[in-house]
Amino acid sequence: ITPPGKPKITSCRSPEKETFTCWWEPGYDGGLPTTYALYYRLETSETVYECSDYHTAGPNSCYFNKNDTSIWVNYNITVVATNRRGTNYSDPVDVDVVYIVQPHTPENVTVLVKADEQGPYLRVSWEKPRNADTSSGWITLVYQLRVKLKNQDEWEEHDVGQQKTFNVFSPHSGGTYMVQVRCKPDHGLWSEWSTTSYIQVPDYI
Amino acid sequence: LGDLLERVSQVSDKLHSLSTSLTNDLNTHIPPMGKIIMRPSMCHTSSLQTPNDKEQALKVPESELLSLIRSLLVAWSDPLAMLLKEAPSLVHPDKSLIYSKTKELQDHSNTLGDGLDRLVHKMGPTSQLISSLPFTNDIGNDKNMRLSNFHFLLSCFRRDSHKIDSFLKVLRCRAAKLRPEMC
Ligand code: NA
Ligand code: NA
Ligand code: NA
Repeated sequence: ITPPGKPKITSCRSPEKETFTCWWEPGYDGGLPTTYALYYRLETSETVYECSDYHTAGPNSCYFNKNDTSIWVNYNITVVATNRRGTNYSDPVDVDVVYIVQPHTPENVTVLVKADEQGPYLRVSWEKPRNADTSSGWITLVYQLRVKLKNQDEWEEHDVGQQKTFNVFSPHSGGTYMVQVRCKPDHGLWSEWSTTSYIQVPDYI
Repeated sequence: LGDLLERVSQVSDKLHSLSTSLTNDLNTHIPPMGKIIMRPSMCHTSSLQTPNDKEQALKVPESELLSLIRSLLVAWSDPLAMLLKEAPSLVHPDKSLIYSKTKELQDHSNTLGDGLDRLVHKMGPTSQLISSLPFTNDIGNDKNMRLSNFHFLLSCFRRDSHKIDSFLKVLRCRAAKLRPEMC
């Protein structure tokens, strides 16, 4: 039995520039029950705080709620592993929340077959992730859509800016299409792709 | 007013993206003694009190937001000029790229400044006042020190340009009440 191995902070992400979460990987537990604690300091002061919420974001994580989260200030974050035989510190990580914004995926992605004088077309529409406050301008989301026929390998990607609708014209008669949408803040990280939406285009001459 | 804010926030968006791309270029070559750990709180604009989260930012009146934005931008005109002068003699493999991007930064800052002047004209006198943020024009004499200082100043500008962009986008959405789909 030995002191615990060195933990490693693996990632910090903010979904909406208002809160954020950091995750860590425990090192070897030394064959003993080991506890973990996350400590952080803001660049603007010497005070060291401990994580106030280890639970909301699941195991080996710390959730910084709105009161604990400031932006345009560097957080210096360290995780400490402790067991009966000793402690071990992770390498510290420096984080400014504005550079780790990765939104949740767009919601209610809907694909409909519509028709106008030129014939049928696919109309894709979606909504912003619920927790992103775009109406105040606090976060500005841009979207990307990809579409392909079920049997094709290559996706066709489209950058649609801040729009929340997109049309696919002259779809293959009788074809089954797959559509996904994702978003990112103007200066942030792409969300995951939404779960695939399928649509069957009726046969038409 | 809405259109002007739309155009101005497009320039601020580009300005911040440019500062990020220039920071990445610089990061490809860190001076031998590494980036001296200069805490961002040592930036020359850190004395300017700005909101630090959404709750605070959304409470700031428009005229105050605009004077914060202008104070930040004006505080960077001398430093950007100095960085432009220093770029050609940097000990960095991509110094010509760094020079051209710094020039682009300066051009975009000037364009943004013009747009903000028009905004002040439209938004009225109270957004006139600008806090002065003195900048000591000395990047150091040793060549590694100059590269580190260049790097440090860029990291400060990257943060301030993000503040400018964020505040303008808040102003833009307040003005866009008539076109809700924009925000
Ligand atoms: Na946890
Ligand atoms: Na907060
Ligand atoms: Na942003």
